[in-house]
Amino acid sequence: MDAPTLTLLLKGAGVSLALALTSTALATVLGAALTALGFSRFAALRALYRLYVYVVRGTPLLVLALLIFYALPALDLRTGPYVAGVLVLTLYVGALFAEVFRGGVLAIPRPQWESAKSLGLPPAAMLKRVIAPLVVRYTLPPYINVCVMTVKASSVLSIISVWELTLAAREIIERTLAVFTVLGVAAALYFIMCFGLDRLGRRLERRLMARGFAGEPG
Amino acid sequence: MIEVHGLHKAFAATPVLRGVDLHVDDGEVVALIGRSGCGKTTLLRCINFLEDYDEGEIRLDGHPLWYRTDPDGRRRRVPDQEARRMRQQMGVVFQQYNLFPHMTALENVCLGPRFSQKVPAADALTLGRQLLARVGLADKVDAYPAHLSGGQQQRVAIARALAMRPKVLLLDEITSALDPELVGEVEDVIRSLLPERIMMVLVTHALSFAREIAHRIGYVAGGVIAEIGRPEQILEQPQDPTLKDFLRRMR
Amino acid sequence: MTYLGWVTTYGPTYLDALGWTAVIAVLASVGAIVWGCALLLVRLAGGRWGARAVDAYVQVFRNTPVLLPIYLIYFGFPLVGLPWPAAVCGGLALVLQNGAYVSEILRGSFKAIDRVQFDAAKSIGLSPWSAFRKVVLPQVLVYSIPSLGNQVVLLLKDTSLLSAITVTELTMQAKLLTEQTGAAYEAFAVVAVLYLVLVAGAEALFRAAQRAVRWSR
Repeated sequence: MDAPTLTLLLKGAGVSLALALTSTALATVLGAALTALGFSRFAALRALYRLYVYVVRGTPLLVLALLIFYALPALDLRTGPYVAGVLVLTLYVGALFAEVFRGGVLAIPRPQWESAKSLGLPPAAMLKRVIAPLVVRYTLPPYINVCVMTVKASSVLSIISVWELTLAAREIIERTLAVFTVLGVAAALYFIMCFGLDRLGRRLERRLMARGFAGEPG
Repeated sequence: MIEVHGLHKAFAATPVLRGVDLHVDDGEVVALIGRSGCGKTTLLRCINFLEDYDEGEIRLDGHPLWYRTDPDGRRRRVPDQEARRMRQQMGVVFQQYNLFPHMTALENVCLGPRFSQKVPAADALTLGRQLLARVGLADKVDAYPAHLSGGQQQRVAIARALAMRPKVLLLDEITSALDPELVGEVEDVIRSLLPERIMMVLVTHALSFAREIAHRIGYVAGGVIAEIGRPEQILEQPQDPTLKDFLRRMR
Repeated sequence: MTYLGWVTTYGPTYLDALGWTAVIAVLASVGAIVWGCALLLVRLAGGRWGARAVDAYVQVFRNTPVLLPIYLIYFGFPLVGLPWPAAVCGGLALVLQNGAYVSEILRGSFKAIDRVQFDAAKSIGLSPWSAFRKVVLPQVLVYSIPSLGNQVVLLLKDTSLLSAITVTELTMQAKLLTEQTGAAYEAFAVVAVLYLVLVAGAEALFRAAQRAVRWSR
């Protein structure tokens, strides 16, 4: 493999990573908001949560991407493919995070809620000092899994013309027919990113565990 | 003092409390005993409104808690902020999972004073250290709950409840989940609180401990307090037939 | 055109594509489960090297997106003298990818099931292969039904990626219709609903399987 090709692939990997990280950051916020919706006092909001999660998880990411890709120009929003890509990923991964956070909230043992209530904590303090740290504690492994998944999911965006590693690889293949080398390198790059993220996540988990922070409830 | 009048509560269609009356004087320790599912824990949880109740009134030092009556006679829940202030006057210790695992013992104890009572951080820390020393855990202030034994965790939980300077302590089977050798250290802490004449309502299966520290023992059955009296009366001369049965099984 | 008009006009076209999606999904799922069982066998019977090889295989497929094997087979096989149809290439890629996940599911189930049963099978003189086939595998599969159901749903959704290699399944069909008629919303909305129906169907199937198994025990 020659240097220009390799550089191209590396650039593509950088774009994939940037797409994934941006989307996960935004999706974390969306996911938290959705989780709150899922625990709302109002049945309509809870139903909205369930509907959103059901539709997003039951539809292939590609279909969602194509919907957005075709819908945006129709709404007169001419944004570049990257914005569309981040939007799609965020909406998709946001639903996944929502389910992860929901699981975390449900995993908090009841006496912890009740201890916080019994101490008369105001809602803001309760959320910030008790609930949020506990949810992070219980959801770190699945959270990291979803982050890794997002890196892989970013490859689907290649089909809606978002230039990233997979599209870079495909373009090179269609030009040069060097299928095995190019895809091999692309696979290796994805592997490094995903595996690396996973390892980083495990290290974070271990550090938090030492402070009695991560792991089993109670 | 605490007054409970005519407390009724049903879970779905099943009535659990059918008109409970209870009176706890200042400085009094009342133990609640009874079979599993009799409602003693529900009663305790209603006192601090961790459970909602359908009918009845609860008063602390004469002030009605949790509900107000409208001018037109309807009862209305007090606003959340007021409910929080009411809760601050009661300390609760549960059977397990009391402590927040992501905070040290000291942080757990100081959490209430700092964020509910707005005590300045430095004062809260001093108070926290004092209380932890009181329960015999001065050397564990910076330990996380995962590194504490069950008995130590319960002691920190007691310290945390005391940090709020409550008028009453509500203790829900606080030694039931402990290994036998750890029960003593927790009971010692409770004993040490008696001179302070703080009101306590404890739900317990530990009859000998109840006999030792309680001024009165209440036997809960059929959704009411079927019998209540001094420990010697209740444990040695029970009147209620189900109570006799219960005591026989506990021996 | 209204949604209803759309559905009636293009209904048959969709059904055709739906058929392709369903067939590929079913065949690839069966293939992935069989392949996953084979990987489990290699892990159990292949000693340390067998287990390591399977681990490496699983890691590769877990950390790379499924589009890559799809492209690899579709673009690569013709180069080595195997110009297979697109659907077969795609299906094979799905089998290889999901087989990795299936083998992990089976491994988890294997660990969770009481070893005593398997040792008993060995002690009554069953050959390792018979023991595997008649005692280990059935129990592991039954235990895994819920997780396998999840994996099948994921595979079903991944069939949409075969549109990238011109297989006329549902997503490809929606793209074609959009290009023909410009009615993007209608085209994709219907497809989204059809996927939801397929997913619901697959989940119902696996729930029924779970119940059937419980009844027979």
